Amino acid sequence: MISQTAIGHLREKLGARNVLHEKEDLLVLGYDSTPGVHHLPEVVVYPTTTEQVMEAMGIARREGLPIVPRGSGTGLSGGSVPVKGGMVLCLTRMNRILEIDEENLTATAEAGVITLDLFTATAEKGLFYPPDPGSQKVSTLGGNVAENAGGLRGLKYGVTRDYVMGLKGVLPDLSVISTGGKSVKDVAGYGFKDLLVGSEGTLGIVTEITVKLVPPPKDKRTILAYFSDIRTAGEAVSRIIAAKIIPSTMEIMDRATINCVEDYVRIGLPREMAALLLIEVDGHPAPVAEEAAGVQKILEEVKAAEIHVARNAQHAASLAAARRTALSALARVSPTTLLEDATVPRSRLAETFAEIERLTEKYKLKVGTFGHAGDGNLHPTVLCDERDRDEMERAHAFYNELYEQVLAWGGTVSGEHGIGLAKKEYLARQIGEGGVKVMKRIKQSFDPEGILNPGKIFDDRDPCTKSHVEEGFRVSP
Amino acid sequence: MSLPDKKGNFKSQDAPRYDDVLQCMRCGFCLPTCPTYALTGRERSSPRGRVALARAVAEEKLEFTPAIKEEAFFCLDCRACTTACPSGVRAGEVMEICRSQAQAFYPLSKSGQAFRAFILEKMLPSPEMLEASMLPTRLYQRLGIQWLVRHLKVLKVGPGWMEKAEGMLPRLESPLRPQLPEVVPAKGEQRGRVGFFLGCVMTLMYPGVSRQTVRVLSHQGFEVVTPKQAKCCGAPHLSEGDRQTARQLALFNLDLFLSLEVDYIVTDCAGCGAALKEYEELLEGQAEHEKLTRFRSKIRDISEFLSEAGVRTEGLKPVEASVTYHEPCHLCHAQGISTQPRDLIRQIPGVELRDMKESSWCCGSAATWGLKFSDDSRQVLDRKLKNVKDTDAELLVTANPGCHLQLAWGLREAGMKQEVLHVMELFGKAIPE
Ligand SMILES: Cc1cc2nc3c(=O)[nH]c(=O)nc-3n(C[C@H](O)[C@H](O)[C@H](O)COP(=O)(O)OP(=O)(O)OC[C@H]3O[C@@H](n4cnc5c(N)ncnc54)[C@H](O)[C@@H]3O)c2cc1C
Ligand code: SF4
Ligand code: SF4
Repeated sequence: MISQTAIGHLREKLGARNVLHEKEDLLVLGYDSTPGVHHLPEVVVYPTTTEQVMEAMGIARREGLPIVPRGSGTGLSGGSVPVKGGMVLCLTRMNRILEIDEENLTATAEAGVITLDLFTATAEKGLFYPPDPGSQKVSTLGGNVAENAGGLRGLKYGVTRDYVMGLKGVLPDLSVISTGGKSVKDVAGYGFKDLLVGSEGTLGIVTEITVKLVPPPKDKRTILAYFSDIRTAGEAVSRIIAAKIIPSTMEIMDRATINCVEDYVRIGLPREMAALLLIEVDGHPAPVAEEAAGVQKILEEVKAAEIHVARNAQHAASLAAARRTALSALARVSPTTLLEDATVPRSRLAETFAEIERLTEKYKLKVGTFGHAGDGNLHPTVLCDERDRDEMERAHAFYNELYEQVLAWGGTVSGEHGIGLAKKEYLARQIGEGGVKVMKRIKQSFDPEGILNPGKIFDDRDPCTKSHVEEGFRVSP
Repeated sequence: MSLPDKKGNFKSQDAPRYDDVLQCMRCGFCLPTCPTYALTGRERSSPRGRVALARAVAEEKLEFTPAIKEEAFFCLDCRACTTACPSGVRAGEVMEICRSQAQAFYPLSKSGQAFRAFILEKMLPSPEMLEASMLPTRLYQRLGIQWLVRHLKVLKVGPGWMEKAEGMLPRLESPLRPQLPEVVPAKGEQRGRVGFFLGCVMTLMYPGVSRQTVRVLSHQGFEVVTPKQAKCCGAPHLSEGDRQTARQLALFNLDLFLSLEVDYIVTDCAGCGAALKEYEELLEGQAEHEKLTRFRSKIRDISEFLSEAGVRTEGLKPVEASVTYHEPCHLCHAQGISTQPRDLIRQIPGVELRDMKESSWCCGSAATWGLKFSDDSRQVLDRKLKNVKDTDAELLVTANPGCHLQLAWGLREAGMKQEVLHVMELFGKAIPE
């Protein structure tokens, strides 16, 4: 248990308002968006400066408390769940945008800034920050960096990593580091910053982030296609890519998802269709027109049931917004929504859909699938009830078999949500024992005492132990 | 698993439904829409956090602790989270139900209980008593004491809420209920017969507004029946966690209005409208299903009603004014009515509608919340006032007496010039005498 003296010190350094330890506060900071995982921290702190992060970490170290960084808790792999208790260090009160540098095309912001707020602030200056996870209204930049979040525009514009130029943060030994910066080119030493991106809060706590901005596309066209067979949609995606057209967005939703989203947004999505593709091409007007025509031609060739072009920018935005709600809307159907992050080479998309269909039947489950089809990144989501043990077991077997196949096709067990707790046992399968060993050595060199976000990505002892999950039911295989 | 060993659970009467709290997948989409989370930045004061607390109680992981009671009452019940939640979780409602749990777990002292019972069980259900209770207030205003009190700031020494409550009171006219004829005939070709549900706050504080509502309905071709026996809709009781009295009132109103044989039941109070529309859930199992669905199918907010019926615009006279519209939570979030009042405003000749930022963000009134948490309320209100100011509109239009009181008070305190009007008052201006 954390001592009263330590609480006193924390309050002194961070202010009483920023140190919480009542059980109700602990209870609501023991989860993220991953179903079934819930562990209580002993104390929650909200630092407001990098120095306070350092102070808080120092006190945690002296008390022997594990430290778990946290943004908005929208993570889908259990990354900010304090499995070993300790201190949750929540960065949401560090939410200032420090600078938008129009000369260097960069923005610098504190880690707790909400992704959409940075997007909006840069857009107001005529600039563009492309990473846009579905959770952008809620997630923090720090969380995005730690998970290397992708998003709806990932296909053409890449993921968070592609925009991070510099980071400031605190390492477990309490040193404040600054890595990278505004220089476009920087090859001084190891790619330290890139190691922190995607490190899921296990190597250091990021407090400030400098990102690259780009000029916004001058033109954009949004096409919506409906299919009576989801495999045809997969084929359309593969053919568009094979035709060397790179849309900025190519998102898919299956029938279950279309229906749930429609229940929520009521914009007239056709409930009877098997799948929908939301495709956006952007750039200079001439190539946009050409690419849009190319996309339309392919959609006609594969015999999409219906093809529509968004009426105007507002319509296009409402479609993208609707897509963003897919996961939460699926949660309407059943008490528990188990989501996965299976990613395959894009040429395998149609086969992946067929495999999901086959397994859905085999295991008699309700599954909704949506995702970033253009990236080969799908989120097959099992709609179940955690109180039904048998169903949970079948869900487990479903994912197990699916991942077997995904890995055989050269895919990955996580396209964007990270390993966290949910996928530890798969990591070794994908990268091998040797891979895990190297990763552990890296962790060791940053955090020899193992105080930073322990139990994530791989267990400190055994890489293949089961996830820490709530009694009686496992989150994901 | 490292959860507290203390056990808890809800009392069986009026407990949140477990399935409802389990529905939350913790995506956090509700966080940016919650005014109390915006105030504190504290997860437990967010919809996601509140649902998690309720879930923990239901799962016997946590007792119904004082902090849960605190959150149940700190929640504005603005329902912004309900609008935002793709999963269909209704965190505000869960908290509303927790308020009645709070009464069961933490009973008031004897005298407190007696006072509460008097207000909720005796006074509010009786229109006559309510009207009588306003008399002293009116006298007090007429005699100029109000002016004195305001200017000498005597009440500064009293508890903050009293000063605010006093400052919020509009200049009261006599209540509308006894004056309004039970049946007001339709003008022109009759399009139907509607029952008018006259709310307590409306008749007492804003009789002028409801007078206009009836006038508009009649002008639009509807015969208006206003039953004098109608009782409080029960919203204040739900808000204070007295679901028992709320149900009694609901049963009474249900039968009364169904006996009127009207095509629709219309109200101009967003709070009443939301409560009436929720009778179906409140009385589940306590009244015939058929009656409940029939009643539900008839309830309309006035803007909703006119937009469905279609407005007769011929003969309206222009109202030259720029207007901005504040959406009452119980209209936009609880009833999903957002475009209709705007459409109505736009149909008034001469009016220029200027949308404000965050028009559906709560004004901080929320029944007695604004008095109980007067500092927090002030902060919520200031955000609203800034957005009003940015539109530079001459009039601020809304559709709920609670918002009306709060906004009018805020504007006065801030020295802003805008006048607050109910949509019906604005519409009434366009109707020739
Ligand atoms: C509806 C929904 C849609 C989503 N869509 C997408 C999507 O399209 N693409 C995508 O990639 N993800 C998506 N996600 C997952 C999630 O939103 C992202 O992983 C996001 O980046 C998490 O940010 P957060 O602020 O919520 O972080 P948290 O969930 O709080 O934390 C995530 C991880 O980051 C660590 N962390 C947080 N802040 C810091 C910091 N400052 N320094 C170091 N470590 C830190 C935590 O320890 C944890 O391991 C979605 C989630 C939901 C609920
Ligand atoms: S209440 Fe709804 S929006 Fe909020 S976290 Fe739960 S599911 Fe998401
Ligand atoms: S009802 Fe309003 S105050 Fe209450 S949790 Fe929902 S958004 Fe927050």
